[in-house]
Amino acid sequence: MASPLEPRLAAYIAGRMPDATEIAVDSLTRISGGASRETYRFRLSWRDGEGRPRERKLILRRDPPASLIDTERRIEFEAYRAFFGSAVPVPEMLWLEEADAALDHPFFIAEEIAGFQASPGLLWAEPYVATLEALAQRKWTILGEIAKADPTAVGLDQVMAPVAADACWDRELSYWEGVLDEDEAEPLPIIRAAIRWLRANPPPPARKVGVVHGDYRTGNFLYDEQGVIHGILDWEMAHLGDPLEDLGWSLNPVWSFGRGLAGGLVPRDRAIAIWEAASGMTADPAALHWWELFNCVKGQAIWVSSARAWIDGGNREPIMAYPPWALQNAQDRAALKVMGRL
Amino acid sequence: MKPDVPAVLAETAALLVRNAAPDVPPAERAGALGLSAALLGFAAQAWDGAAHNLVQENRAIRALLGEAGSDGDLRLSALSTENDRLRAALIALHIAVEGKNPAKEAAIWAELVASTGRRLVAGSPV
Repeated sequence: MASPLEPRLAAYIAGRMPDATEIAVDSLTRISGGASRETYRFRLSWRDGEGRPRERKLILRRDPPASLIDTERRIEFEAYRAFFGSAVPVPEMLWLEEADAALDHPFFIAEEIAGFQASPGLLWAEPYVATLEALAQRKWTILGEIAKADPTAVGLDQVMAPVAADACWDRELSYWEGVLDEDEAEPLPIIRAAIRWLRANPPPPARKVGVVHGDYRTGNFLYDEQGVIHGILDWEMAHLGDPLEDLGWSLNPVWSFGRGLAGGLVPRDRAIAIWEAASGMTADPAALHWWELFNCVKGQAIWVSSARAWIDGGNREPIMAYPPWALQNAQDRAALKVMGRL
Repeated sequence: MKPDVPAVLAETAALLVRNAAPDVPPAERAGALGLSAALLGFAAQAWDGAAHNLVQENRAIRALLGEAGSDGDLRLSALSTENDRLRAALIALHIAVEGKNPAKEAAIWAELVASTGRRLVAGSPV
């Protein structure tokens, strides 16, 4: 049965393609996952200005009633757009709609990079297991490219809030501590101790204020059987800040998937070396340690926030209960590990 | 575990009923059922040990706090409420002894490490 969203989506797109005729949307299917936005794939078909039949596979990312993380879709949209065509592979962004009228909630539409995998679960079996080193090389090289980018040159200083090099850590820590204060459903003694340590031992100022992806991890990119990455996804937490923040998130033990390797791919030191070579920056060990522990706080805030959205009834999708159940204790253990207590 | 297990199970039951309808798109049904199965698996793991672990933990924290008493009401909701109270008090104690009482601090950390062992689920990434 066709989704009732299909004709509404077609009507919206028709308003953006004045030269096209016979615009139709079909095969609209929701993609599982996507706790911060509802994600659908669909096929768009039309006749161009010369009457030729055309079609394209596209992605719809629509805000849910309540989200795992509260983010600005314009920032996500512009972050993708800033890197399109660069050494950082991303899908092409087409239209951003911030009003509710067309599809009940704000949304954007992008091209679908089809035919590749995103699930981490496939990586440790044939044929992918033979490509882990190559995949790691690409993963942290691309992260180095993001770190290297000049926010002004790519236009992101126009949409992302500015931050001074010596204020990056406090802005991020204060934000996520605020999320915990607001959303926690039970006391979190380990994470509260981590926050106290972070405040008592601040990192040095950022070497540069760069673009931070905000959720750069195994599971948020599209890969193939040769270990090539075809798309970096999920930029909804992108912001300006210390590039070490992204490196620290990529090394968060919860993203080791129980394999004891950075991102489940290679030893930690190897990942850092790849990033340093690509970014042209050095990862000061003490500063990186701070950002790794910070990312345990941030992770816990995200899982707690997801639980809160479920408890308050704003979003009762199972994807909102899964992260706190699966990851809250693991995130506490990750914090203990980073603090050298586990 | 938050959200609470009974509430998630009730919601999961309703989700399963909705997905029994014939007009649910297969990909959506697969996503919903896969996540529901994972949640049921977590609930199953928690079921047997939940009360035991909470009683153990409440007892350990009371010892650290120097509190007398025990858990009289063994319903999970009552044990969890008491656990929340005790863990909030533990945070306050931790702050009070940090940098001042190394032995007490070490004992608190030992209990916090043990608490994550009690909550460990199969397949945990850490």
